[in-house]
Amino acid sequence: MTHFYRAFLLVVLCCMITALPVHAQQRDEAPLISGSFRNMTFQDFAQRLETRLPYKFYFEQVVGDSITVDLEVDGEPLNLVLAQILKETDYKFAITEQRQIFITRQSAIMTSLPSNFFKDEEKARRSSQLATPAYLPQQQNNKKRIQSEIKLYEIGTPNRSNTGRANLAGTLRDAGTGEPIIGAHIYIESPSIGTASDQYGYYSLSLPVGRHELNIRAVGLKNTKRQVVLHSDGKLDIEVEEDIRTLKEVLVEAEKDRNVTGLQMGMERLDIRTIKQVPTAFGETDILRVVLTLPGVKSVGEGSTGMNVRGGSTDQNLILLNDATIYNPSHLFGFFSAFNPDVIKSVELYKSAVPARYGGRLSSVLEVTSREGNKKQFSGAGGIGLLTSRLTLEGPIIKDKTSILVGGRSTYSDWLLKKIPNKSFSNSEASFYDINTHISHEINDKNSLYLTGYLSKDRFKLAADTLYRFQNQNASIKWKHNFHNKLYSVVTGTYSHYGYNISNEENAVNASVMDFGINQTGMQVDFNYFPDSKHTLDFGASAIRYEVNPGSLVPNHSESLIKADKLQQEKAIESALYLSDRYDISQKLSVSAGLRYSLFTALGQRDVLQYAPGLPMTLNTIVDTVSYGSGKSIATYHGPEFRLSARYVLSDNSSVKVSFNRLRQYVHMLSNTATMAPTDTWKLSDSNIKPQVGDQVAIGYYRNLRANTIEFSAEAYYKWMQDFLDYRSGANIIMNHHIETDVANADGKAYGVELMLKKASGKLNGWISYTYSRTMVRLNDPTVSEVINRGEWYASNYDKPHDLTMISNYRFSQRFSTSLNVTYSTGRPITLPLAKYYDGSSNRILYSDRNEYRIPDYYRVDLALNIEGNHKIAKLAHSSWTVAVYNLTGRKNPYSVYFKSQGGQIKGYKMSIFGNPIPTITYNFKF
Amino acid sequence: MKIRNWKNPIVWLVMLVFSGCVEPYFPEVKESASSFLVVNGFLNANGPTTIQLLRTQNLNETGTPPAEVNATVFVESENGERYGLHETDFGTYVHPNLQMSSDSKYRLYIRTRSGSEYASDYVEVQVTPEIDNVHWRAVGDEVKVYIDTHDPLNNSQYYRWEYEQTWQFRSALPTTLLYERGTIRYRDQRDMPINLCWKTSFSNTIELASSENLSTDVISDYHIFSIPAGSESISIRNSILVRQYTLTRDAYQYWGIVKKNTENIGTLFDPLPSQQHSNIKSLSNPGEVVIGFVSAAFVQEKRIFIDKDELPSEWRPNFASCGTDTLMLSEGNIRDYFEGGYQMPVSEIFPPSGSMYPIGYTYAPRNCVDCTTQGTNVKPAFWE
Repeated sequence: MTHFYRAFLLVVLCCMITALPVHAQQRDEAPLISGSFRNMTFQDFAQRLETRLPYKFYFEQVVGDSITVDLEVDGEPLNLVLAQILKETDYKFAITEQRQIFITRQSAIMTSLPSNFFKDEEKARRSSQLATPAYLPQQQNNKKRIQSEIKLYEIGTPNRSNTGRANLAGTLRDAGTGEPIIGAHIYIESPSIGTASDQYGYYSLSLPVGRHELNIRAVGLKNTKRQVVLHSDGKLDIEVEEDIRTLKEVLVEAEKDRNVTGLQMGMERLDIRTIKQVPTAFGETDILRVVLTLPGVKSVGEGSTGMNVRGGSTDQNLILLNDATIYNPSHLFGFFSAFNPDVIKSVELYKSAVPARYGGRLSSVLEVTSREGNKKQFSGAGGIGLLTSRLTLEGPIIKDKTSILVGGRSTYSDWLLKKIPNKSFSNSEASFYDINTHISHEINDKNSLYLTGYLSKDRFKLAADTLYRFQNQNASIKWKHNFHNKLYSVVTGTYSHYGYNISNEENAVNASVMDFGINQTGMQVDFNYFPDSKHTLDFGASAIRYEVNPGSLVPNHSESLIKADKLQQEKAIESALYLSDRYDISQKLSVSAGLRYSLFTALGQRDVLQYAPGLPMTLNTIVDTVSYGSGKSIATYHGPEFRLSARYVLSDNSSVKVSFNRLRQYVHMLSNTATMAPTDTWKLSDSNIKPQVGDQVAIGYYRNLRANTIEFSAEAYYKWMQDFLDYRSGANIIMNHHIETDVANADGKAYGVELMLKKASGKLNGWISYTYSRTMVRLNDPTVSEVINRGEWYASNYDKPHDLTMISNYRFSQRFSTSLNVTYSTGRPITLPLAKYYDGSSNRILYSDRNEYRIPDYYRVDLALNIEGNHKIAKLAHSSWTVAVYNLTGRKNPYSVYFKSQGGQIKGYKMSIFGNPIPTITYNFKF
Repeated sequence: MKIRNWKNPIVWLVMLVFSGCVEPYFPEVKESASSFLVVNGFLNANGPTTIQLLRTQNLNETGTPPAEVNATVFVESENGERYGLHETDFGTYVHPNLQMSSDSKYRLYIRTRSGSEYASDYVEVQVTPEIDNVHWRAVGDEVKVYIDTHDPLNNSQYYRWEYEQTWQFRSALPTTLLYERGTIRYRDQRDMPINLCWKTSFSNTIELASSENLSTDVISDYHIFSIPAGSESISIRNSILVRQYTLTRDAYQYWGIVKKNTENIGTLFDPLPSQQHSNIKSLSNPGEVVIGFVSAAFVQEKRIFIDKDELPSEWRPNFASCGTDTLMLSEGNIRDYFEGGYQMPVSEIFPPSGSMYPIGYTYAPRNCVDCTTQGTNVKPAFWE
């Protein structure tokens, strides 16, 4: 009985929403009507028909009285006649198998139960043929989208042949906000065909003609399904409801069998819901901090958001926020990431098999997508934490068509610093803010427009004399155009700016301001083409123009003796063409082959130093200076980048994947600290600095256990890197007119094995990953630079061979859950003092070979309790509390180990940033 | 560290978060098989040249660094002139006055007792401009000492300074009494003065500056060191001697790395230690590590004085915690207390009734009373 009740409710509910006209049904069986019905009430009309036909009418008295019938028909089917009568009214009709005619207000009632309702195939088929409201293109639907799991949707025009394939495409949207759902899995089970929705929520499936049950799985949303009968190519937009109950699950079933059946390897997708439950040091959800828990992603230490993916350096990650490059993804010394968690929808990280669409960085692509904003109603969200607060407002400008989202975040850490009873802290200032905006507009069924903007500003002052300021500015515009079901294009324009300035005012003579800035303007056209069920083609072109102001130094005091200095501006254009095809050769074997060809040209106007060939570039080997005019090419580099991957399914729940990819990188970050610092500058390749090239092969084994609830994956990789930048001893990277004399092109290699066991659903969920990896550097060419460590391979700064991470979540009840994270990793390499000596006045130290030793291992446990408010759907504001303890065991993990000569004595120190358990409490709300 | 507001819970919270960030650390480092040669000093073109040869020690070794004794050390010019240095102390080799010419280049040559040969690169003799000014300011709770210099020829650019401080100070507990052979008497002119002394300390940091980024070769207000407000060194009068010499760019980089490697590492954004490349090479074993960098220069000096009167009047010197104890003659024997010199009489105690004979003495440990335990009572020649 409850079954029936629930089904009935659903039926009624979806009828209310969909409001479909029903006149297209029962073409075959409807009796023909002839006669003149002039100026009569509906009541009379019904009585007349009842006398002639074996049908019975059901309607409320008010219907019978209020509707007037005035028409003359000659042999027209009953349904058309009824449709004509009710056309101008808001009444609908439905005709049942039992020849009953129901007239209802606003929406027609469903006249049959879902096909599988009584598990009686035969009956179901009959009833569905009888009385399913046909699916109509959405523009006729007055923008109401379809939400019934049990309705049967007919797609396309029926033809007699029941064979062949047809294409089904559409957009998946959140029923509550109208936002597209990214990365939802949409599939049929027999035969097993599936795909994932792209970043616009768009999916395109090629299915056999006939009847299917479409399953839709998405993170944080209710698992749902749709019954479809596919006659020919057609569209089906689907709205999926938010699953409040699973709000705090780590990963819901979206990725259920993608682990095994997906072609992509070395890729991780994190949903903001997953990210939000991982405890952080200051209680603020931090996207990058969670990314750092994934296998293969490391950082040199806490308080640093620079990430090292599979042995790559921190500048080898392409960090995209809505397709615009973010050069500095951190705030406040790296303690916060630059992304406001309320604005972000999802994060995708590609560690290997990077799609051909992306290029320009060696190690990884981190794509951060912001939410589009609620298209249905105004809403907001926010949070209040110990150091930061944030507020996001969103809503429709034109309902279901245009939405706007504005999010802001700011810190009040200044007052906290002032309270620290330590002079160097209390004389310091630190503040930041960031603002995100997103406008999305659906021009029509085929065209959508997205505008996004991002601004972040930081300012901090260390020990009262030097003021650092840095900012990111990003904007992007995207136009998505659907040519037809199988082809769509996206045109993207982006602008990114990163800049900082450092002003020093302690001493009038040295008072100065130093500026750095990089501007990047890009244009990209992407096409996605689904010619048939076996092929998916991506192709496109992109062009990026870089403009770098590598540094300028200006005195900012009348007494200052600082010589105004400006490094020459650098300009370059990087363009690329790409094509990739995913080919499903058989059920078991799929391959994807891609080729990206990139071309980089460094442009004048510039004076370029020429060095004697075959000798290290030093001030003594400069032989000439060549001037290039404005727009003249200084140096050109180009080359193919191959992206190949293949998947072979071994059994229903296991598969093997392999991939090879090559990437080229033309911009380099200059930094002589192990962590990412705001003073890092970026340098474009030119005739003296070669681009970096990296190759990676990877192989993986994937297996799902216990009906896809447990996923196991093992991936191994080997990576070669050429010409990435390492530094000569005592390198000066700021205001250096000949930076090539202070850097050296190093060779790198990295290899490792990543094991991951993930339980995606259930009361207890989370993942455990173990990584063994090495990353090595070699500086062995005396014609390039000094030889480090006698030209042997040495461990890079971020080489941490063993890494074990556990992220777990246990849900006690629907409103109360706990998260426990455990992280262990080998300490990072360090150059240690070997011996001490007396220099005539003081003891000093002699250091070992570069990176010969390691700091103590890293170990941390975090615990968080999430308490949800009640889950009444209609509520002014949904709120939650998160109480967390970061570094529960209080282990003093060393961030750095160093030695100082103090008062003639050598003392070793270990600096830990979070040396105590740090309790935090955060209040989050959503309205 | 002053805690301003103990009752404020925020202070407690912040203390909880940030306390214990830095703690001592002793890593296990493999014992280095060999000990490397350390060459200290530089070639002085207008004064005595002192070269000190030492050996490195393992970090956990204690005791004075081993000296390289009985080595053959000489300075050699490019055209073959040699000036031998003589060992005056263990590992210390001196030449009273090298007559070096700024037109020639010189190198240091070393042959150790065991026969290993070392030589530096040939270096030019750097001409050093005069020090314009050594001056100081009382800023906050310290005296900051600054230096100004300039080179009208714009040639110098890279500077290094060494300094020494000599100061006058009084013992914490001045006394007029002297214990001698079982009795106590008043001190007179013939007795060694022990209330007023002088003490000297040498710089132990590497002070470098460059005018590379400036349009003219000027160093202005280079902060060379600070003296804390309560320091004994400014309790009466302090004299600061600064020595300045010009470096080559390579030498400047070498000392910059040494300074960075040992004085400056550890905050979030500091660079990693880098390898220091000496200009001294082993001739016998080219791969061997040698520490030190040989430069040759004319040296410039300047001396200034700081008087207590010139400092903020509220500054008080922090004396070592010195208290007195009392010896009543009725209870103890003078000889038992003062024989051996570990304790010294400070003042006499007279009976309340009044008498010309003391009934006891106050006394204190010797280092509170006798300033020669900390310095010398010989007035330096330069003292004004």
